[in-house]
Amino acid sequence: MKKSLLAILVAVVLVLAGCVNTKSDVSDKANDKTDSKTDQSDVVMELLGMSTGEADMNIVRDQLIKNGFQVKLNIQPDYGSFTAQKDAGNYDLALSSWTTVTGNPDYAVRSLFKSDGDNSIMSDEEIDKLIDQASTETADQYTDTYNQLEQRLVFDKAYIAPLYNSFKAQGVNKEVLNVDTVRLAKSRAIAWESIDFVDTAKRATDPLIVQQAIGTLTSLDPIKGNDGSINTLNTNMYVRLVNLTDDDVVVSDGSLSINHAIAEGNQDYYFLLRDDINFAAITDGKAVDSGERVGADDVVFSLNRAKDKDSVPDHRTYSLHESMQEIEVVTDLSELEVKQSGSDVTVKEALENGLESKITELVEDKTAADNATGKYQVVKITTVNPFPQVLNYLAHQSAGIVSKKQVESINTYDVASFDVNKDIPYGDQNTVTEGDKYNNTLYASGPYILSHKNDYEAVFLKNPAYMPGTENEAKISNVTVRFIQDADSSLAALRNGEIHLFNGVPETKYDLVENESKLFLQKSDSNAVTYLLFNTKNREVSNSEDLRKAVLYSINQDEVLNYYQGNKKKAVSTVSPLVDTGNELVSDAAKVQEFLDAYKSTK
Amino acid sequence: MISQKKHALKVSREYTQANFAWILSTIVTMILLWNSFSFKEGNIKTSVFYVFLIYAVFTSFQLFLTWKMKRDLLKYGEIQTTTRKLGYIQLFSIATANIFTAAFAFNLIKKKKTPEYVFAVYMVLTQLFILAISSFNLFKPYVTDSFIPAMGALMLIMVFQIIMLVLVAKYVQAGAAPSWMLIPAILLIITSLTGNLFNLLLGVSLIVKIRSHDQSRIIKWNTMWDKITRNSTAILGMFFIILLFSLSVCSVYTFDYDMAVENNYGALLQKPSLEYPFGTDDFGRDLFSRIIFGARISLLVGFASTLIPVVIGGFLGALAGYYSKRADNIIMRLLDILYAVPGILLAIAIIAAFGANTLNLILALSVGAIPTYARTMRANVLMVSNYEFVESARALGSSDFSIIFKQIVPNSLAPMIVKATLTIGGAVIATSSLSFLGLGVEPHIPEWGNILKIGSTYLESHSYLAIIPGLAIIGLVLSFNFLGDGLRDALDPRMD
Repeated sequence: MKKSLLAILVAVVLVLAGCVNTKSDVSDKANDKTDSKTDQSDVVMELLGMSTGEADMNIVRDQLIKNGFQVKLNIQPDYGSFTAQKDAGNYDLALSSWTTVTGNPDYAVRSLFKSDGDNSIMSDEEIDKLIDQASTETADQYTDTYNQLEQRLVFDKAYIAPLYNSFKAQGVNKEVLNVDTVRLAKSRAIAWESIDFVDTAKRATDPLIVQQAIGTLTSLDPIKGNDGSINTLNTNMYVRLVNLTDDDVVVSDGSLSINHAIAEGNQDYYFLLRDDINFAAITDGKAVDSGERVGADDVVFSLNRAKDKDSVPDHRTYSLHESMQEIEVVTDLSELEVKQSGSDVTVKEALENGLESKITELVEDKTAADNATGKYQVVKITTVNPFPQVLNYLAHQSAGIVSKKQVESINTYDVASFDVNKDIPYGDQNTVTEGDKYNNTLYASGPYILSHKNDYEAVFLKNPAYMPGTENEAKISNVTVRFIQDADSSLAALRNGEIHLFNGVPETKYDLVENESKLFLQKSDSNAVTYLLFNTKNREVSNSEDLRKAVLYSINQDEVLNYYQGNKKKAVSTVSPLVDTGNELVSDAAKVQEFLDAYKSTK
Repeated sequence: MISQKKHALKVSREYTQANFAWILSTIVTMILLWNSFSFKEGNIKTSVFYVFLIYAVFTSFQLFLTWKMKRDLLKYGEIQTTTRKLGYIQLFSIATANIFTAAFAFNLIKKKKTPEYVFAVYMVLTQLFILAISSFNLFKPYVTDSFIPAMGALMLIMVFQIIMLVLVAKYVQAGAAPSWMLIPAILLIITSLTGNLFNLLLGVSLIVKIRSHDQSRIIKWNTMWDKITRNSTAILGMFFIILLFSLSVCSVYTFDYDMAVENNYGALLQKPSLEYPFGTDDFGRDLFSRIIFGARISLLVGFASTLIPVVIGGFLGALAGYYSKRADNIIMRLLDILYAVPGILLAIAIIAAFGANTLNLILALSVGAIPTYARTMRANVLMVSNYEFVESARALGSSDFSIIFKQIVPNSLAPMIVKATLTIGGAVIATSSLSFLGLGVEPHIPEWGNILKIGSTYLESHSYLAIIPGLAIIGLVLSFNFLGDGLRDALDPRMD
């Protein structure tokens, strides 16, 4: 009985087996991918990345394998070990990312791809020439130049293989914060002064609680750092000559200047200064008005030290400001009678635009300035070459205005013989960390000042003398920055109300924030581009253009977008989010094969 | 008279098993019921609900059987033949993959159970599960090239196994087996190449009974396996381990590895369905295939990283225990230094230094475990070397080497085996933990810790991505622990 049952079973299975598609049946029909995979190629690519980029690495690995490469992964746990591996040259492809925080295309290419760039590993005369040419051009002219640059960089030479352009996403607790007052800008760091509570009565009593991943602050001196640990903090602590709007237009709104103008020739830049900002200091745990005004001499001092490589030890931002030749205070009113660039009005008229009392006198001494009676201060910046994008660099946090008097009184050491164990520079994080070394000497020109910090949080207080009575005056008196490293923990903190604002919601978690009734998800474009950087030394990929192109055309950006559920955009280079060049990278298995064959034949 | 019958109820192994079966079966049924309601939309998922209904039927029947057995035992002092016959009906629960009731049913229908019968039953059950699990691949767009011949072979083996089950049930007695079973027994041992180690156990057991004329040896063998098979959790643990092991072997031919590692952007984060029984992960890889292939690494690393310290630690421990004082002191103090370093930290350090791959993982986990095995072995050797048979061996002029490895070590092995089984579970967890931390195997390779890592980021939206690998790890570790417990009961002479 049992045996007959089994016989039937076997028969059924055999019948079923007839209807079953096997793998080779299927691949015969589709007749590509699986074939190229079975002929195991001996081209091995070593892909270097950080564990945070594991998903991207897996996508690239999969695409390369499907196109006949072999892939070796080199995954490093943190940025330090990643850079160590990169410096040692242990890679063919390095998963890299870049965010253009100044919002101008020059910054997006200069330090990465120019022969003498801070972060450049390549040297190509043609590319150097195009970068320099584009920097002197205005927005309508440079599109074509950047198009040529992309052609050369990506399609002709394949120095990089682009993956995607990210969005920026910010979760806001809308039960606590008034969502309309929370900005999400494409490039600039978030401005805290505009943020307000739903219940405005709480402004003085309750702190605004935000989050930041890194708790070790590089330096609170704006020129000594340019990274995620201080960008937002210094942006809110130091005012700048100009600001970026949410979509990267340079404006004077909410900055130290009332108006600014470019003189004919695109080499002279004029800034009309406000008279209603004083530096704040911390005394007995309270933010007080130091009585010292933020004036033209501070601007000249700040920008001169910003462009001078040797003004401080560990100067990390001078390359952004090298285009400036001279910064001076204008006292002669007749100097403003030059034409504004590309228009018929004079610089003076441009600067006076919207003023209640016109400019009657320009003063040297900042205490003598009184805008109500027509006494103003004007700063003029001259660039080495015509370079309109200098304004973007002036909007960067590293161009924040510090107090000449205070910084000079703290930085008394000799730069050449600076001893990190003995000398305490202005902005050292130890001076604001709770403990024996606490000695807060910060002078903040911005809406907030850092009172103290520990490993868990940093506390900021409102600058009482920052544009009081205007719309730019900070609304909330206290800001607490929690240091939460992990994005998932930060999201949890946002959801349980521990923090009010979370900048950097992961792509795969958008729906979680959107589905939570008390949260609001703000989304905007960003300038962050992720790409694969080819090694330029001692590797097969460094010598063979064909091999690099084979990798380039293996990259399928549609699949990447799919993985991120459409929450990424296509990119061709780091310029893509800033300039629409019309280029697109289309994956092409036939081209890959062609280039691979070409590479193999030369070997 | 009444108390005697109450005693019968108390000592009845079948009644205990019946209770065990219905309780576990009820739990599974309840889980199914819970899952058949979709709480968000407030409706019933029909397919899950039907499965629940079927399970509910068999669970109720199991409850009925348990009640009937209790009545029999209280009334007659033994289970009636009619009740045993009802067990044949419960055999059908095997079609629902309810291992608890099915195993119980096999137990119930046979009154006098030899270890061979139990082996044969579990052998068939294992094979059936392998076939059932592998046949899920039929719902995929395509199967691997070797799928059909492999499935055919597995099915032929199952036919053979079922025949053997019937023969064993009929002809094998507690004390002896008919000698014509020698050839089938050898065949069974050969078929154990599919990874179904119950084949091997049955084959060896039959050969022991056929070849051995020494009754005491047979009785010893019987009692040992009796103790293990009597222990429901131990045999269940053994079943699960052997099932996974066998799946790891068979999956080479029945599963397509590409489905587990190749990204498929057309099927990202799919909910469980027939095509993807456990759904797909964020790269569109079939979680079912990944779990199956992941078992291979977990088992390999688990076994290897236990075997290496057993051999090395056992060797050092035996030397230390036999040559007392100086050699003992040197070996054990050196091992104490190793013992002082936390095992998982040592593993992390080794992997950070030499890179993450399976071989390094095994070495990293092995090194830290050597001292504990050396200590266990040394303690046993110290005890055993005082026995008379050791002295007589010495008196006969055997060399130290032959005394240690021929006389002492074989008699000190039992605690080592038990300890090893119990620590394999720990090794499986350590493997997964290291992968979870990004220190194990490469992230795309299917390994349970890796799968769990991806799942943990989707815990809220696609919880099955974390629950399933979690359950797999829990299941395997629990199985090793249960088996270890059973082995301890069986091998420890003090438990007699």
